[in-house]
Amino acid sequence: MVRLSKRLLKEAGTGVNKTLSEILVCPLSKQALRVCEEPPSLISDSIGVSFPIKDGIPCLVPTDGKILDTDDTMKHDNAADDSANNK
Amino acid sequence: MRRFLFSQTSCSLLRRQRRPKDIPHRWFLSSASFSTAEYDDGDAFQSSPSKVKIFDRHLKRTQRDRAAWLLRPNDSFVHAVAENLVDRLEDCKKTFPTALCLGGSLQAVRQMLRGRGAIQKFIMMDTSYDMLKLCKSSQLDSDNENIETSYVVGDEEFLPIKERSVDLVISCLGLHWTNDLPGAMIQCKLALKPDGLFLAAILGGETLKELRMACTVAQMEREGGISPRVSPLAQACDLYMFSLISVAHMVRDAGNLLTRAGFALPGVDVDEYVVRYKSALDLIEHLRAMGETNALLQRTNILKRETALATAAIYDSMFAAKDGTIPATFQVIYMTGWREHPSQQKSKRRGSATISFKDIQKQFGNGS
Repeated sequence: MVRLSKRLLKEAGTGVNKTLSEILVCPLSKQALRVCEEPPSLISDSIGVSFPIKDGIPCLVPTDGKILDTDDTMKHDNAADDSANNK
Repeated sequence: MRRFLFSQTSCSLLRRQRRPKDIPHRWFLSSASFSTAEYDDGDAFQSSPSKVKIFDRHLKRTQRDRAAWLLRPNDSFVHAVAENLVDRLEDCKKTFPTALCLGGSLQAVRQMLRGRGAIQKFIMMDTSYDMLKLCKSSQLDSDNENIETSYVVGDEEFLPIKERSVDLVISCLGLHWTNDLPGAMIQCKLALKPDGLFLAAILGGETLKELRMACTVAQMEREGGISPRVSPLAQACDLYMFSLISVAHMVRDAGNLLTRAGFALPGVDVDEYVVRYKSALDLIEHLRAMGETNALLQRTNILKRETALATAAIYDSMFAAKDGTIPATFQVIYMTGWREHPSQQKSKRRGSATISFKDIQKQFGNGS
């Protein structure tokens, strides 16, 4: 019971557990992913796509990803901002 | 040279199993690029994946969603395959702290682990969310209690795993549905740490030969014969539930695949399982429960009821045993490969021998 609640807490915190956050990468670019708390999702900055985390299970099938609006990315990330400006 | 030959073989395989009339001319041209020779530089995911799409991955995902609900907790065939695969971990002295289990029969692999391989972190990946939900909610065995299990929805063709991050990749009855099997295997190799182990079981081309035969006969009988230009096998594939255009059609191909993906010390072996069913309909139900039904892109969506029933009847009359059960053959190809590591044994460079074979013969063989 204790273990279960611990696990729940851990997942509630970051959306994904430590193991996953260490080994998961973007399925398309194989670059690092960034955890987004609200809504729970993993964001691949290199291609500007967000992958949802449903109930603690990250969904990293390319067709599940949503392409982020440029405005949204600019707010979140400076790198994306730069690349948008360069265009 | 071998690479060229290989692409030729896979091309002819495809040609044989598809209906030629549906294939535009362009398709044959593009099939030349089915060979993933250009991936050999290790950047499999950087270049575009194989242009030829044989399987409908989206449909396969839906089928696996369905399979999650139909899954049989004590499926003896799946368990036998998973047991055989996982048993290989006992042959290694090495331990595998981090293991990645790819789709197919996840649940069975986890049940069969029983502490083998000293796995500490177990990551389960499948294309189906429902399947993972099921794994997550099912009770953990006492043996597996200490294993930290994580779940990811992912596609084997687009493996979301960092390079050199896992010690073991297991895939039990899943990889044969990938459009680009060599590409998927290359990605598995990249995900492995040096000296990491790749274990896979896929269904081979002999699988369900009885069903395919029965289908062909039924279709000839009910739908006015098959025109001679069209391959009967392709018809049967299109028609019914299961088909395999696996690149690993034969053992030799599976070996080539492993070598081409760059695995060291490759090993391939084949097992045939004959499963007995009460009727052909039971067999189809079992295939549904395993999520192994037809997912060809160029499938015929409508199966006439009459033809289906005729297939069942013909299956029964052609293959039924005395006790009324019908056999179904499943050919399983097991593949083993390691990611290269300096500690592994290697063959010496060509021409580096210091002793002639003739001398060896003189030494040991006395004229025999």
